[in-house]
Amino acid sequence: MELQKTVLSEDHIKLEAKMAAFAGFSMPIQYTSVKNEVTSVREKVGIFDVSHMGEFLVTGSEAAKFVDFLITNDFFEVEDYKAVYSPLCREDGTVIDDLIAYKISNDEVLICVNASNIKKDWDWISNQAQKFDVTLTDQSNDYSLLAIQGPNAPELLIKLGIMKKDEIEQNTFPYYSIKRVSLEGNQIIVARTGYTGEDGFEVFSPSPEMTKRLWSQAIENGGTPCGLAARDVLRLEVCYPLYGHELADNITPLDASLKWTVKNKKPSFIGKDFLASYEPKYKLVKLALEKGIPREGYNILNSNEEIIGKVTSGTLSVMLNKGISLGLVEKEKFPKDKRFFIQIRKNIFEATYQTKPFFKGGHK
Amino acid sequence: MSLLFPSHLKFTEDHEWAELKSDVATVGITDFAQSALGDIVYIELPETGTAVSKGDSFGVVESIKSVSDLYSPFSGTIVEVNKELEDAAEKINEAPYDSWIIKVKVSSVDELEGLLNSEDYKSHCDKNS
Repeated sequence: MELQKTVLSEDHIKLEAKMAAFAGFSMPIQYTSVKNEVTSVREKVGIFDVSHMGEFLVTGSEAAKFVDFLITNDFFEVEDYKAVYSPLCREDGTVIDDLIAYKISNDEVLICVNASNIKKDWDWISNQAQKFDVTLTDQSNDYSLLAIQGPNAPELLIKLGIMKKDEIEQNTFPYYSIKRVSLEGNQIIVARTGYTGEDGFEVFSPSPEMTKRLWSQAIENGGTPCGLAARDVLRLEVCYPLYGHELADNITPLDASLKWTVKNKKPSFIGKDFLASYEPKYKLVKLALEKGIPREGYNILNSNEEIIGKVTSGTLSVMLNKGISLGLVEKEKFPKDKRFFIQIRKNIFEATYQTKPFFKGGHK
Repeated sequence: MSLLFPSHLKFTEDHEWAELKSDVATVGITDFAQSALGDIVYIELPETGTAVSKGDSFGVVESIKSVSDLYSPFSGTIVEVNKELEDAAEKINEAPYDSWIIKVKVSSVDELEGLLNSEDYKSHCDKNS
């Protein structure tokens, strides 16, 4: 199967990025080094081409009402021009995907979904939409998405003409806000969201020319191009879940310790009847290693060396220079002594169990 | 930056290099391998005295995002291990041909015949990149 390309594909190749297939797209994995890219985002500003992500536009008199019914988190009550993170569940509570819904108004909502789940999500959402007065459009191929992340991101957005200086200084565009901006005749959507734990923005651009121009200008003004490898390290350092790892088709958000995203007080949403009385089978744990690097699929053991769960994501943390991981542990086997061990090939290493994220990003 | 394929070394298709002097082979991973792996951050080394067969995994090298087995180009006994790399795995990125990983006392020097010369190894890499 021919891989899809983003509009910036040639730019990545010119920068000598390592490209690899991801969710049917040819995507930049790294440009210089993962260490350099992660550090740039934590200390300055990094730019990511995440145009593989899917975008669905929901319009019509019941747009916000429909999205509120579709997702487990609160949406209808949320103010205009705000973004909401939420799982998307089936009636039996299992997770189809996790997404960000951007409320432009009660009549217009943009949903951003994982690239690997675009078709599955579209089939599910369009089927559910039949009972509502809404029009659904798959705009995944119309929008490019740039993520501009790091403490210097606001300054860079001002230079790009997307943010105004007073919006930043007076904080009138806080974390998880969105807005439409008219830039050289193009309507772009800007959100103060991201997947790195840092302050930052995501820019949805409908014009290939504008996307290319923004990318080049961002680099000229100090933005470091960052690939998907750095993005994964960044999200794991701040313990954001990733679909296909911490979340999957066969578990509920409650199993992935995402209770805060399931709002049983809402009048109705898909999966509510099930989730309201469901006792989770798993608990998501954060485990760090001083020696060795935990990886997806490694066994998590208790002090009696019994298997109690599996690592769902693991890497070396660039900021902490140690192994970090998220894992799902069977709730019944959660050790009372809170001692956890990770098996790496023939060796067993004791892990540090943490309740707080490994790294605190600078957002908010 | 172009990758190095030194002509005095022999290579495996799995991207190890080897230099045989009398019956002891010095083994590391190639410039192509370190470049493909990216930032190397961790290495798991075998014990001195371990017996290996040609093609056996004798250790593991990890970059931030990946785990790769190291395969022995020769059968024999591991007589020396470069312990310095345990705290400085990034040296493999910086100088892959100076950062030897193990030395193997080989059982049969004839196994040298099965390895690639630098030209053949280079074309193997060209096909796989």
